[in-house]
Amino acid sequence: MSAVLRVEAISKAFGGLKVIQDVSFDVEEHGRIALIGPNGAGKTTIFNLISGVYSVDFGQIFIGDRDITTVPSRKRIDFGVARSFQNVRLMQHLTVLENLLLGQAHVTSSLANLLTPFRFRKNHPWQRAAMAALEGAGLADYAQATVQELPYGARKRVDLVRATLAKPRVLMLDEPAAGLNPAESDALLADLQRLSETGVSLLVVEHDMAFVQAFCDRVVVLNFGSKIAEGTMADIQADPQVREAYLGEAGNSQDAA
Amino acid sequence: MAQQLVNGLMLGSIYVLVAVSLTLSIGILNFLNFSIPGLFMLGGVLTWLMIKLGFAWPLAAITALLAVCVAALVVERFTYRWMKGSDPEVPLVSSLGFLILFENLMLVAVGSDQQAFPQVFADFNLRIGGLLLGGPQLISLVLSIVLVVMISWVLRKTRYGRQVRAIAEDPETAGILGIDLQRIVPLVFIASGLLAAIGGVLFAFNYLQVSPFMGEEVGLKGISAMIVGGMGNIWGAIAGGLLIGVTEVFSIYFLGSDFVDIVVYGVLLVLLILRPGGLFGRVEQREKL
Amino acid sequence: MSGYLEGVLVLLSINVILAYAAALPLSAGQLNLGIAGFMAIGAYASAFLTNEIALSMWLAIPAGAAAAGVVALAVGLPILRTHGIYLALATFSLGEIIKAVFLNLDVVGGASGYAVFDYAGPMAVWLTAIGVVVFMLILSQTRFFLYLTAIKNDATVADLFGLNTRNLQLAALTLGAVIAGIGGGVYAHHFSFVEAQYFNAHLNIFIVLFVLLGGVQTVYGPLFGALFFTAVPELLRFSDEWRFVLFAALIIIAMAWRSEGVITAKLLRAPWRGKTPEGARP
Repeated sequence: MSAVLRVEAISKAFGGLKVIQDVSFDVEEHGRIALIGPNGAGKTTIFNLISGVYSVDFGQIFIGDRDITTVPSRKRIDFGVARSFQNVRLMQHLTVLENLLLGQAHVTSSLANLLTPFRFRKNHPWQRAAMAALEGAGLADYAQATVQELPYGARKRVDLVRATLAKPRVLMLDEPAAGLNPAESDALLADLQRLSETGVSLLVVEHDMAFVQAFCDRVVVLNFGSKIAEGTMADIQADPQVREAYLGEAGNSQDAA
Repeated sequence: MAQQLVNGLMLGSIYVLVAVSLTLSIGILNFLNFSIPGLFMLGGVLTWLMIKLGFAWPLAAITALLAVCVAALVVERFTYRWMKGSDPEVPLVSSLGFLILFENLMLVAVGSDQQAFPQVFADFNLRIGGLLLGGPQLISLVLSIVLVVMISWVLRKTRYGRQVRAIAEDPETAGILGIDLQRIVPLVFIASGLLAAIGGVLFAFNYLQVSPFMGEEVGLKGISAMIVGGMGNIWGAIAGGLLIGVTEVFSIYFLGSDFVDIVVYGVLLVLLILRPGGLFGRVEQREKL
Repeated sequence: MSGYLEGVLVLLSINVILAYAAALPLSAGQLNLGIAGFMAIGAYASAFLTNEIALSMWLAIPAGAAAAGVVALAVGLPILRTHGIYLALATFSLGEIIKAVFLNLDVVGGASGYAVFDYAGPMAVWLTAIGVVVFMLILSQTRFFLYLTAIKNDATVADLFGLNTRNLQLAALTLGAVIAGIGGGVYAHHFSFVEAQYFNAHLNIFIVLFVLLGGVQTVYGPLFGALFFTAVPELLRFSDEWRFVLFAALIIIAMAWRSEGVITAKLLRAPWRGKTPEGARP
């Protein structure tokens, strides 16, 4: 199977501190890859490197066979890279619908589109597409609400819908299930299931192991900025290095509790 | 040349007081208090008014400073308290509202003309080498330095100072830690207002004139000094104030008064482009996601 | 119509134009305190063209506005390195420099001012203001305007969605300068006289006050702000010397009462434009 996203031996240091060392992995078409590891292992940094928020020091990042290592962050969405954010970065001063219109930015990028006063028409195709996506997620009631008026779970799902409207090939989700109640978590799982079936590859950072087990088909484990294991959930659970990295920590947190 | 440098530093020391006053407010409370030029003016004009009513000048100055404390508290009550959590531009509007209010109140009281301020000190000058140092100017330069050093000492060494710095870090946490915001915040407003007002009184004694609009020119320079120094940084405000004072005097000396604004604001613009966070400010790194 | 009312409406029209000149960059998060400088460029450049080469005012005013835009474009990239209050000071400095340059420019009269021979009647001023309002209403329905707000909210995320934040910011600054330039041209040709001292710090600060008091969330806010700042001082004329004391008090009260500006998106939405969903509390 061909890889949509290929990360090859990337490294990143801040000051003298090496936060990512020589990490490689692939995400193939329809792939559902989990990126796990203890706090501070460098998971979000990997997202920032792939989306171009930080530049890599060494190594390469490919989309298909295109090397995007030096492509500026703003243009990476043209290659199909999109992401959600750990702390839900919706635009606070915009309504939900307007946030979704922003999600369409890269599929509508031309000067003519930029300057069309399309919002005079309630049923303009862009508005309809955004509404349809919102209805698909069962959030249509919130269309005109501002972000501050949304409950937390709805915000996370709007964030996801916004990212999908950019029509990504690879979607990176940073702790999508964190802070959701079980019902919301199930709804999210269904959303992602549907998304995956449309052909989008998913790379997920998640602490909720039940969620990872239910959804992901492969797991990449990071510790102190290095990849220590990769494989199915069963492989990972049997790996002695992973057990050490995790159980050590789990043991401590049980003591603390 | 050296004489011009001295004159520039004297003028700059007035800007320093206004700039430090502003920087206290923005550094501690994250509040850009545009009423400060108004408080500066109140210091000068009220002193003049009291002297005209027959009070001795020390008493006049003290009364004016007390009145400014009250005015600063009124500003606190109607701007800062209402503005928590709003966009950063909003306090600008209300505090500018107070600037207009103070100016027009004084306009009603004393009229729009420049009023001559009586010379209360016998004219005494010091000659050091070839330099001529005006007595009142020298006193105000020294006083400015003493005041600023004192403020910085209070912030660094005292219990109050520690509480204030905790508020500057994070008001919410400071509140949880038991720091009484309701008491400290008005104190910061008073301290900052007093600095500006002392600047106004010194300005009146030095340049011997007051008017309801005397705060604008000095206020703009003070704000510029504060920003170019790096907001919230006391030493930046001092450097900025002196820099603007010296630039102003030198450009008058070499190029004539027509080109002062071009040079002063040109220097500011270039500095800001070269150092977008001010001379002593930190430029924010690309944020964490 | 009485001459008095006509005069007030002209003043209102110019204030409306200037309010939108400030509102456009502000919707992208740029506090531009140099609007009066761009207005001065529009005023002097158009006046120079009508006076010296007898160009029709209808060509000269757009040309003056274009000149303001060119200056904004030229200084925009370095100036936009700064953000927030630092940007405000940078634009303010630029405005002061522009003012001081005209003050010393003898071809356009220097400190003694510059008489303008072509005349724009009140109707021309009103129509220009209406034109600017209509333009802004249309612009507010575009992606361009939506993206400006997005950049103000969160430039990092806007960038990741593919927006060219630098060019959009530059466009907002430049377009604001062009509108200010139009305002300047109309001002010069209506009052038949330009003097550099008019384009001072006061004017800059008042222009920004129009917008912040009216509110930047909707396209109607600046209109309200300009109306407030034009009409209220007129209505307070009865109070004589206390006029601006009362006016200042009203500004303070208005901002204490509605700190996000008087006209907010919420105000326009409720209750007749769709509802907030049940239980939708953060």
